[in-house]
Order: sequence, then structure tokens, then C-alpha cells
Amino acid sequence: MEELARYLCDLAKQRGAEFADVRVLHRRAESILVQDGRADKLAASTDRGVGVRVLVGRCWGFASADSLERSRGEQCVDDALALARASQEFVSDPAMIAEAAPVVAEDRRPPEIAPGAMPVKEKIARLLEYEHSGRAAGGQAVVNSIVSYSDGMREEVLANTAGTLIRTAGARAVVTCLFVASDGTIRQRGMEHRGILGGAEILRRTDPEPFSVAAARKALALLKARPAPAGRFAVIFHPSITGLLVHEALGHNAEADAVWAGQSILEGRLGEELAPPAVSIYDDSTVPGAFGSYAYDSEGTPGRRRPVIEKGRLVGFLHSLETAAKFKAAPTGSGRAESYDCRPIVRMSNTFMERGTVPLEEMLRGVERGIYLMDGHWGYVFVQKGQFICHAGQARMIERGRLGDMLRDVSISSMTLDTLRKIDAVGDDFEMKMPGLCGKEGQSAPTDCGGPHVRVGDVIVGGHAEE
Amino acid sequence: MSNINYLELCVDCVKKAVGLGAEWCDVSAGTGRDISVTIEKSGIKAADAGQGEDLAIRVYVRGGMGYAAVSGRDRRDISEAVERAVALAKEATPDPDFKRLPAPEAAPEVEGLFDDQIAGMSVGDAVRIAAANLEAGKRLEPEANLSGHVGLSVGEGAFASSTGVALSSRATDIGVDLEALLKPGGDRGHFFDFDFGRFLEDCRLDDVATSAVLGARRFLGAKRIKSGRMTLVLGPLASYGFLGGIVGAANAESIQRGRSYLCDRFGEVIASPHLTIVDDGLIPRGLHSGAHDGEGTRRRPLTVIDRGRLVSLLHNSYTAGKACTESTGHGTHSGGIGPTNIRPALGERPAAEILREVKEGIYLECGELRADPASGDISASIDFGFLIRDGQLVYPVESAMIGGNIFDLLAHLDAVSSDAREEPGILMPTLRLQDVQIAGAE
Repeated sequence: MEELARYLCDLAKQRGAEFADVRVLHRRAESILVQDGRADKLAASTDRGVGVRVLVGRCWGFASADSLERSRGEQCVDDALALARASQEFVSDPAMIAEAAPVVAEDRRPPEIAPGAMPVKEKIARLLEYEHSGRAAGGQAVVNSIVSYSDGMREEVLANTAGTLIRTAGARAVVTCLFVASDGTIRQRGMEHRGILGGAEILRRTDPEPFSVAAARKALALLKARPAPAGRFAVIFHPSITGLLVHEALGHNAEADAVWAGQSILEGRLGEELAPPAVSIYDDSTVPGAFGSYAYDSEGTPGRRRPVIEKGRLVGFLHSLETAAKFKAAPTGSGRAESYDCRPIVRMSNTFMERGTVPLEEMLRGVERGIYLMDGHWGYVFVQKGQFICHAGQARMIERGRLGDMLRDVSISSMTLDTLRKIDAVGDDFEMKMPGLCGKEGQSAPTDCGGPHVRVGDVIVGGHAEE
Repeated sequence: MSNINYLELCVDCVKKAVGLGAEWCDVSAGTGRDISVTIEKSGIKAADAGQGEDLAIRVYVRGGMGYAAVSGRDRRDISEAVERAVALAKEATPDPDFKRLPAPEAAPEVEGLFDDQIAGMSVGDAVRIAAANLEAGKRLEPEANLSGHVGLSVGEGAFASSTGVALSSRATDIGVDLEALLKPGGDRGHFFDFDFGRFLEDCRLDDVATSAVLGARRFLGAKRIKSGRMTLVLGPLASYGFLGGIVGAANAESIQRGRSYLCDRFGEVIASPHLTIVDDGLIPRGLHSGAHDGEGTRRRPLTVIDRGRLVSLLHNSYTAGKACTESTGHGTHSGGIGPTNIRPALGERPAAEILREVKEGIYLECGELRADPASGDISASIDFGFLIRDGQLVYPVESAMIGGNIFDLLAHLDAVSSDAREEPGILMPTLRLQDVQIAGAE
């Protein structure tokens, strides 16, 4: 793999590339789906190939092939050069690349239990144990249960014409459970999700009680929950919702490619105070074991902790080598590519708000009538207008400073800058347990997000009726 | 495109798997070539190309499923994938609900899935389409910030199974998706448009930027609105997502497993009589068309909702076997179920007339009005919407949401337009729903 990467880099340079990088990648993954007492879908995949990116004149060209044959790699070099040359005439914003010191390194992170080292039978037995425990906790009301597991190894070599040569190898593993409960009238879901930078050890570390038992109990509890009210409310975010806020509402806006392209609402706001001084938000790919962590990004820049908001002030963006050059900033190691057949683009890693000083009880006391949003499920954002949505699997009414009725299926929507300004309390706790795959431009990247409990003066709640 | 005979490869893999102990087995394999041109900041940013081959094998042993996918043409990798799929199927729990894989079934070819013109296009052609859009968009609005993609793909593939199914197919597609952002004086108007097709002559690829810019202009000057119950009009793009979600929920596996809001509703009225939806994977040149599904079952038009009544579920071979019925041809090779081309029956009056009758309401141009798959609850953001007053779109709205339950919304559907946006194979009419809860920020 190394030899091929270096050879293709040299070839690209000889044939006219001002800059080129080559990524050679090999992935293997397996997954198991346990459903209603049976391991009924077992799957495996193998994927290998090479991606060549070249900078010629004012434009990027990129070509990939699902083969490590030298001739296919050579064809990629020629195709990438031809693609870049074909586009020169219509470039309005010339491509650039930051001058970064070459890195020659190897980062191998073998998991405690390599994916293939734990027999499939043992994995199935553990997944069935999760399912049985959840079913036992949920009783007759549980009508469907799914426990799924996947793990995979990824080995990659990156070389570029500046002299970088990095070999990385690592694994990720994910286990998820879903229980659906019904009282004969309605159905509700309870989910739990775990993901690590590692292998099958996740199955030994994850106990049924906080995982499948908790998910089944959540589904049961939601059967008694009522629909959320509609309108403007003071809200308290559980750390999982804080995670969605910092990832969706802020993080995507802080990706420097969106800023440079004039798409982000953070364009021209560097140095501005966007939130109260208690708010500090970071993206950090060096958190040990976290799902979004990595040693080097897909361009060879070492991962690091990247301040985005410090004490309320916007202090930085997430950069690839290209955006760093355009902003005359330091690369932050945020150029990530999902696979060999994708160009690196600016991505988050583990994004979180730092803990503050306010206990949850004190936050609650300050709310006359509001909503406590928990169990972050998903969110999305339109960076162009700074509008985001976060979906909570469950919520509680807050009445006169106390938690009240349980609410089900509730989303909130607001404008990023408005919401940041309206944060009026940052909790003294911290949790980052939202491992997932973030989608952007057709690529997915492993990320995590979290933070403390946070109180926001008001947001729009998409409930069923006004009260 | 390739010197590999994919059908022979599939048949060989099936034989090998059966020799290793597969009781049932099917294999799909193919190759594809993609070209993509990325537009950013109203110029071309990059051009990408990829060529790849893949093979996937599905094996059943005592009803337990093993599946393996591999990229590339390395024979050792393919051989390993076959062995792995068989080994995994043997490890899976036996499943008596699995009955059989589909038997061979002759089906007429669906016309118009492969266009020689698209197959012959180069990156230069894609660049020219991008340039034409940039020029048209800038001519209309010099300050517009345009971004998006022009892409095309050309593929060929084959499918074979242990029941004797042996199929080959070729397909092309091309598309443009573009966003326009306008930022006059601190305001922001943002919208997008797209055009996709299997045949070049079905597309108006050069007009997408113009349409996106016009859309962005309409979204300037967004305002907050008051909460209240009001009429909700779903424009073509919003209705496509909304109705697509309902057809997707008619997935027989979700219903058999008890996890869908459509459980126990088969044969019942779930919507107002205005709603009839047909899923038809046989439309010539349709975006989701094909003679067979991913398991080799012949596709057929399927009425899913007939005048408000849920009359059919989407089946694959597994769910059909479990229900002692026939597969509807909606299976995917990996064991899932998915809709094809969605075609709601059109109403009697045009969208403009339906809109004119609305005293106060929201026009949702586009937005993810998705229901929770189990409860059917909806709590969605009005991503691209307008306030309607006295039949007119007054201004775009910001920070507003829609809440309710899918069945309430469907019961309050009182009009489907007679006109519709049409993409190859797909019909997108305008829908009107009465008495919907809107949460506003004013």
C-alpha cells in the first residue's frame, strides 16, 4: 500500500500536478442483527481501493478505483489530471493548499478485541442477552425488539507530494438496541446506542441494565407520556440535546468550507461575542476512545482540540489544508474522507460544550413553565440561514421549577445565533454519549457530541396543541 | 463497459455457495462509472470520477441469512465473500418464517433505463452543463451564491439465484442539484432545485440554477408568525416527502414485526377519500423503475391506498412467505423493502384554485414532514414555508413548526391538485390539509 501511494504521488507530480495526495485504503466490517429472539441477518463487507486528488492550476481533480492494481492507480492519476484541467475555465475561486510540514508517521491502534477475534457465536450470545434482558424489563408490552452490532477495521496509507507518508490502522464498533412497546392503542420506541474507537470489547463493557433494559423501560414509560404542547417555551437541554445543538446548530456553521463559500451564518463574525461568557465549545479529535477521534485526518494533519467558542466569543473555525490556506489560518486536522472514493472535506470530530457551574436543580428552579428535553435522537441544519432542528425522544414538562408530566416525540427548531444568545445557564455536569455518523455532501464521518445540561430562554416546540 | 460477464460471475458464485451448503442463494454484481462536478461559490470547485465493481451474495441456511459484499474484481476477495456469506448463514438462528427465494418469472423489459447519449458523456459535458447553469444563474442575479453538483452515472449489472433467476440490466442517470443563496442587506433568501432523469432528453438540466435563484428570491424577508391551528398546503416537493413516508411505512416487515404505526390498519380507512396512491416500478424511464426488484421478483403496479383505505402492503419474498401471499416486488437484495415510483391520483382542481380558498394557513414548499415510525407523531420544522392569507402567499416564515399525528393530518386532507410536478416516473401534486397545529415564534 505504501509503495503504491508513493509511486502514484510521484507520477502525479511528474505529469503536472502542483500538489497531489493519494489514499490507499482497505476496510473490513461485519454486522449482526438480532430481532425478536433470533440472529437473523449476519453480514460482512470488504472494500479496498485508491483515491488520487490533484491540484492543477486553479482546480481540483479527483479519481478513484476499487483496486490496488498499479495500472488502475495510474489511470486514476491521468483521470484526476484530466478532470482538473477540464474545469479550469469555469473556476471562480482558485483552489489552494496550505503549506504544511511533511509528516511521516504510523498510528496503529489495535482494539482490545479485534473484530474477528471474538467468535460470531459469542457476539450473538451477548446480543441475545441484551434482548432478553430488555424483553424481561418490558414484559408483554414489548412487541418488537432489535439489537444490532457492527464492527470494522480500517487500514489506510496517505501520501502527498509534500512528503507526507502516514500509515494508520484502527477499528470502530457500534451496538444499538430498539424496543417497541404497545398498549394496544399507541406504539412507542426506546433506543440506546453505544459506539467506541475499538473493537468487540464494547460488548464486554456494555452491561444490559443501562443499555437494553433502559431502552425497554423508556418505551414503556413513553406509553404513558402525553404529546408535547406547541409554542414558545423555556427549555432545559439534556447533554444529548446539548450535543445536537453544538453539532448541528453551531458545528456545521463553523466548518470553514461553508464559511469560505459564503454559506455559513458565521461568515465575518470571527471575534464576535455570540453567547454568554459561560459558553465554550470545542471540537476535539484527541478524546481518548471517543467515537469521533483520530490521530491524523485524511490530509495528514494531526488531530487536535479546536476552540470554536471560548467564553462566548467565536474564536475559530474547523480547517482543511485548503480552507487554512484561504483563511491564512493553521490547518486544524479537520479534512476527513469517508473512504478512498471520496475527496476530503471539512468535518467535525467530537464536538462539545464545556461544563459550567450551575447544578440541574438550580436550573429547574429558575423555570416557571417549560420543557426538559432528553434523549437526543437526530437533528439537521440549514447553515445558509442558521436554522436548525433537534429531535428529542422524550421530554418532561417543567412546572414551577419541578419536573412534571412525561412528553413524547418532540422536536424544537430555532435560529442558531438566537439560541446561543438565549443560553442563560450552563450545567456543572458533562456527558458525551452520542456516537453516530454525520452526513455531509454524501459522505458520512464518525462523530460524537455532548456537553452539560443547558438552559435556553425560549425556543419553538413543535407540539400537538397550544395550552 | 467491462470485459467481465457479470451474469456468468453471479451464476458461478451461486454454484459455489450451493456447493458450500447454501440452501438458497442469490448474487448481484455489476460495475459503474460516475462523474461529478462540484459547484461552489458560483464557480466550479472540483471534478471527480470513480469507477468500481461490486458483488453481493445472500445465502440462507435453515432460514438464517448470511450476506457478504465486496468491492473490486479480485477473484480471491469474491471467493472469500461467498465462503463468508455461507459461514454467516450457518451461524444465524434458523428462521421458520423464511419460505423461499423468488422463482424465475418472465417480465417485459421496462423501456428507457439506458441512454446511449448519457453513456457517451464525458467530464467535459458535465462541466458544460455546470457552466450553463452558472451563466444563467448569474445573468438572472449577479449576487447569487450558487453551489451544488452535476453528476451522471452509467452502470451494468447482473443477478442470479439458486432458483434459476438470471437477469442482466443496464442503467444510466444524470442530474443537477443546485442551491442559491441571496444575502441583500443582511437578509437571507435560500432555496434549491434539481432535475434528474434516466434519459438526457427528459431533463432540462440547464434551467436548474434559474429556478433555484427564483426560489431564493421568494424566501427573502422571512418573518415570525403566531401559533395556531390553520390550513397546511403541501407544495409538490413537500407532498412527495410526506406521501413517500406513508408508502414507506406500508413496509410489510415493519407491520409484521409490530413496530409500525400502520399495524392493525390493513384494510382500514387511514386517510380521507381524496387520497389514492399507486406505487409503480414499471413506468418507462422512471427514476425508480426496473423490470424486477432486488430479489428478482417481477415488479407490478401496486395501489397502496385506495380512496383513503390502506389496501396493500409492500412485500419482499420473506414477508410474503410469512404472510402466505405473493411478493409485490419491493424487495432489496440485502433483505429490505422499499417503494419505487410514487404516483398519487390527481384531484379535480388545479393547485392555484385550491390555494385561493385558504383564508389563513401555511404553504410548505419543502420540508421533512416525517412521522415517528412507531407512533405516527409528527413534530417537524417548517424549513421552507410561506404564510397564506386570503389565498395569497404573504411572506416566508421562520422559526415555525408543525405538530400532530399522521392519522389526524391524513383525515384532514381535503384536496389533491389536478396538476403536479412530474419527475421521471414520479407525480408530485399539491395537497391541502385542514386544521393543523402550527407553532410560531411571534
